[in-house]
Amino acid sequence: MNTDPGVVRDLFAAHYFLFAFLTSLGTIQIAVSNAGTRGLWLTPNATLTRWLGIAFIITAIAIFFSQPLWVDGPWAAGSVEADSLTRDWGKASWEEVAGARNVNDIHGGLDGVKQTGWFSLAAVTAFAVSAIAGTLSIRILNTVQPKSGDDQDPDVPDGLAGLANRSYLSNQPESWRNFHAEFGELWHKGIREAESWSLIKSIWGRSSK
Amino acid sequence: MTSIDANIVIWLNGLSGNFAAFDNLMRIVASDYLMPLVFSLGMLGLWFSGKNPAQRIRYQLSTLMGISALSIANIVVWIFNITVERPRPFVEYGDQLTLLFYPPTDPSFPANPVAVGFAAATAAWTINRKFGLWLYAAAALFGFSRLYAGVFYPTDIVGGALVGIAIYVFTTYLRRFLEPLITSFVRFIRGLSAA
Repeated sequence: MNTDPGVVRDLFAAHYFLFAFLTSLGTIQIAVSNAGTRGLWLTPNATLTRWLGIAFIITAIAIFFSQPLWVDGPWAAGSVEADSLTRDWGKASWEEVAGARNVNDIHGGLDGVKQTGWFSLAAVTAFAVSAIAGTLSIRILNTVQPKSGDDQDPDVPDGLAGLANRSYLSNQPESWRNFHAEFGELWHKGIREAESWSLIKSIWGRSSK
Repeated sequence: MTSIDANIVIWLNGLSGNFAAFDNLMRIVASDYLMPLVFSLGMLGLWFSGKNPAQRIRYQLSTLMGISALSIANIVVWIFNITVERPRPFVEYGDQLTLLFYPPTDPSFPANPVAVGFAAATAAWTINRKFGLWLYAAAALFGFSRLYAGVFYPTDIVGGALVGIAIYVFTTYLRRFLEPLITSFVRFIRGLSAA
């Protein structure tokens, strides 16, 4: 392969981000449809949301591993089975496609650190898309009624539990307010109850007494 | 004179070329992208799967431990790599192997991808036996595919699995060392309506 590894890496990063985003979106949809977290559903129906999640995952895998057939890259006319160094830039044939993605990171493939970075970004994006879609579904289609009209009620759930009956935008003020109200007590209680050999307890323990 | 370890990888890799469809499936499974993503998605799915507050916090703490274990496993494998420096099978028996994967340049023992997979699977297994077993199966399949492709010895796979499991157990102790930081972090994420 005579191509600059940086060029190959950019191509892999773009493809991998799409792959990770679609599979993350699918996974979140399957999980939240099972858990009843309506505020993150892409559709108003649990079964439809779950099947949509499965479809996202299958589509993402199919796209990622078939892209070498129709997108030019470092996977043509070489020993695609094993060696990522002797390949040409171009499209892969059907015989080559299964091994086309196997490119060493020193030749432009993504190493573990880069994959971690792109996956984290993709997962956060998938959560944001789920939150926006859930908000639109609840507000426009009016699919869920708020459990309680009184936001000051301490028993009103927050976090993901609050998203069972509210949109992200309705839930967020409650979640943040509860976090502010509870965090100090939670931290000091945690310090008191931590193991005596806890590093955090040894640093903050004295000041919290 | 070849060891039992080498004989197994030579025999398994010798089966390649008979069934093109199976070889292609192994090339995809052995890919750097599919199985690592499966393990990451497993952790992501667990994070959102709790059905009540108690179950949710248990799932999320285990997910955090799993993610930490993945990172620590990489470091431990790297330390083994530079200490043991075992050459890859294709370096020692290249004339008897047909590589189905690019030739990695790092040492062979223990298998990094398998360590990562088993660390994630153990995290899942501690909170959901059925799901954990599926992830163990995925990690084992990942290891088998790399063995079949001729880039690891069987003992690399076994070593990787043991490292992954041991690192998860160590990470659960590390969590107690860092409490209440971990629980407070989950509480902060709940403040963003994401936990």
